Amino acid sequence: MNEISYIIQVLVSGLGLGCIYGLIGIGYCVIYNASGIVNFAQGAFVMLGGMITQLLLWNHGVPLLLSGAIAVACVVAIAIVIERIVVRPLWDRNASTFVMILATLAVQIVLEGATLLIAGDQPKTLPVFTDLPPLRIGTVAISYQLIWIAAASAVIIFGLAAFFGHTRVGKAMRACAINREAAALQGIRVSTMLMMAFALSAALGAIAGILVTPTQVTAFNVGLPFAIAGFIAAIVGGFGRPFGAFLGGLALGVTQAGAVVVFGSGFKSGAALAVLLIFLFVRPQGILGTAK
Amino acid sequence: MRLHATILQLKAMTAQQSGSRRRLLAWLPGVIGVAIVLYTFIGGGYLVSVVSFGLIYALFVTGLNLFMGYTGQVSFGQNAFAAISGYMSAVLTTTYGWGVAPALACGIAATLVVALVVGYPALRLKGHYLAMATLAIGLIAYEVAVQWQSVTQGYMGISGIPPLGVFGYEITSDRGNLAFLALVAGLGVGAAALIRHSRLGRAMTAVAGSEDAARALGIDVARYKLLAFLIAAAYAGLAGSLFVHVVGFVSPEVYGLHMVNLAFTMLYVGGIGTIAGPLVGAIIIILLPETFRSFRDYQDMAYGAVLILLLIYAPRGLASLSDLWSGRARG
Amino acid sequence: MTGLLLVNSLCKRFGGLVAVDSVSFEVIAGRVTAVIGPNGAGKTTLFNLISGTIPPTSGQILFAGQNITGHAPEKVAAQGLVRTFQLVQLFQNLSVEENVKVGCHLHTRGGVLAALFRPRWAREEERAVEANARELLEFVGLADVAEASAATLPYGQQRLLEIARALAARPKLLLLDEPAAGLNREETQQLSSVIRRISERGTTVLLIEHDMTLVMNTADAIVVLDFGCKIAEGAPEDIRTNPAVIEAYLGGVEGISSVTGDNRKVVADE
Repeated sequence: MNEISYIIQVLVSGLGLGCIYGLIGIGYCVIYNASGIVNFAQGAFVMLGGMITQLLLWNHGVPLLLSGAIAVACVVAIAIVIERIVVRPLWDRNASTFVMILATLAVQIVLEGATLLIAGDQPKTLPVFTDLPPLRIGTVAISYQLIWIAAASAVIIFGLAAFFGHTRVGKAMRACAINREAAALQGIRVSTMLMMAFALSAALGAIAGILVTPTQVTAFNVGLPFAIAGFIAAIVGGFGRPFGAFLGGLALGVTQAGAVVVFGSGFKSGAALAVLLIFLFVRPQGILGTAK
Repeated sequence: MRLHATILQLKAMTAQQSGSRRRLLAWLPGVIGVAIVLYTFIGGGYLVSVVSFGLIYALFVTGLNLFMGYTGQVSFGQNAFAAISGYMSAVLTTTYGWGVAPALACGIAATLVVALVVGYPALRLKGHYLAMATLAIGLIAYEVAVQWQSVTQGYMGISGIPPLGVFGYEITSDRGNLAFLALVAGLGVGAAALIRHSRLGRAMTAVAGSEDAARALGIDVARYKLLAFLIAAAYAGLAGSLFVHVVGFVSPEVYGLHMVNLAFTMLYVGGIGTIAGPLVGAIIIILLPETFRSFRDYQDMAYGAVLILLLIYAPRGLASLSDLWSGRARG
Repeated sequence: MTGLLLVNSLCKRFGGLVAVDSVSFEVIAGRVTAVIGPNGAGKTTLFNLISGTIPPTSGQILFAGQNITGHAPEKVAAQGLVRTFQLVQLFQNLSVEENVKVGCHLHTRGGVLAALFRPRWAREEERAVEANARELLEFVGLADVAEASAATLPYGQQRLLEIARALAARPKLLLLDEPAAGLNREETQQLSSVIRRISERGTTVLLIEHDMTLVMNTADAIVVLDFGCKIAEGAPEDIRTNPAVIEAYLGGVEGISSVTGDNRKVVADE
């Protein structure tokens, strides 16, 4: 394998992981746009998606696709409960940004702890969705899981575009993003939007978690790195722009893959965090324009 | 008119009375804290080392409180500063054979330098950007501790760190540690009280109250944020170094996200923005898992849950008790 | 007759909107000057430009002979130009007295070391700050509630506290941004008397106000803005009869009665 195809190989796998980061990043934007809240428990949705699917598949023999569907439903239900019992009371009290962040971070920790109790601390994984040898394009190998990730991401992106562009709820969410007070005056129930946003965001996170788990392992504590990566994706894309966040995710995935090539695998999370700090300190408005 | 004036006067009088009672009550948690430390010191047993950890955490949380409670800023990355000073102490004393006191001083100095370099750009950020930036700083410190194996020995950690001591005299007993840490924590809390009631403390509190109004009165807001960040980092560094010398061991897990979670729970139990709150919160929270032994396995989860409940139902922690007492429920 | 504050063809554009359009005027030391104008005339923008909250697009602001154009608010305050806010911005987490003590920031020193070791000069300074705060609370009539939490004061008293806090910074020029907004008539009268007494103490005052009773009772000079431009300037009695001013107010939402000094309170907000 020559140098160039090696680099292409790395870039391709970086793009795959980037799709995952992008989906998580979109999750941040959806909630942020509806409410101005940054949900630091986003990583827990990702972790739970993979974990619940794995539990159903291995312990109860539920087929993969059904396990995945049930897992997404469970994560959405958990997100709605969180929104009801934690976020809503604080939101009604007009709690500060910081209190909201701390509360959602605490939710992340509680969910991690609960998962640790139920599932133990052993890393787990899922089988790949299609068990065939990777496709070869020239010297570059593309695994079927990567194709699944890319295809699912594409479907989700188009689905979201249709949702925001053509459905009542989607349009209402966009209105909230532009101006919450005005949206409320137009008769849009901002509080309902908040719950929907949590549900949608959780679904995105859970799907990302299920898609990515076959390529690596999952454990009770994988959430936070994903949460950070998704947040970086959202920042790079200009916070509050769902599609910008997806591109941001791709950019981060590639950057991380590059850093691993240059510095070795120990620097994977270090590279992501460095990208985060560079963006925050130098260009907090992201690549694609001004943050709201 | 006369009647109106009389009513106003009466109101002012009752306000003053409940004010002095409140001030008395404000002392109560501190008194309880001191009583627990004394009880443990006399009683002895395994609680001595537990309360010692509580006192170390009290220092860490007092710093956090200066930055967050007084100045109204956000940092999820104070554990980074504890880690820098802690590792500095550990490496200098074990690998290079330094004395404990110079190693500790060096650790705090290094912490301050890093806090200055990181704080200058980070504190221009606000809200969730600042929160995420500081969280990232904490995680980077953890990554470095894991990856920089030639110095930190990675997950293995560094053991055989000498106990606290100076000029050849070492504190070897648990009680000695407790007494020393009680002294240091007392000084730390006292310093925070002195700062709160000074020009510096007022400026910091003004920044928390309204940045616009503070600037309009000539307060250089950026400067006071950075100053509060540095003071908080110094407290964190001191706590981080004391920890390694008391325990004799350091590993990346010591300064992980667990520390952040624990510190925030302590801060909110004791009452954010109060003087004695960090001390009281730290001791209560450190004693809880000892009281319920079975609870140890899911500590983090329980702390997280307690924190959420406090944020929702009692955002001022024990400090809101005094309001219950005087029959005023606010906020 | 010296101009303490000189505003020289000051402009501020927000995108296509010209909020302040080459406004020039002068504030004479020792006087109370009022800026009036219909809603959206650019009064608050003008104030924000002078106090350094936002930088101007063009033009110049000279204060006590110094060019302060585009300086940060804390630098402007250090020069002796201190403002209050349209929506009261107290330090709600501090007591009434502590609020005023924060106002003393500029003419005190003392940082970390002074806080921790309390040398003699720091203790003396602290005593002076305390006396100063007491004196100012006495001056605005809040001495009785010095120990109370600032957040618990009724709105009228919060206004007075904000003014006392600004005075603690020993301003050469005090900027009051709609000090009567949200006050009832009794409170407004009290405020008028406080503003007159501030002027008698030798502090120059520049205020934006909607309440014409207050303006006519306190101002020595008036500047009138409309659509970002200065349309008149002069003594209160001249402004009252100025045709351009009457036209501006008749064309706007507010009635002429408010300009002619009718006692009716004009309810308006920006």
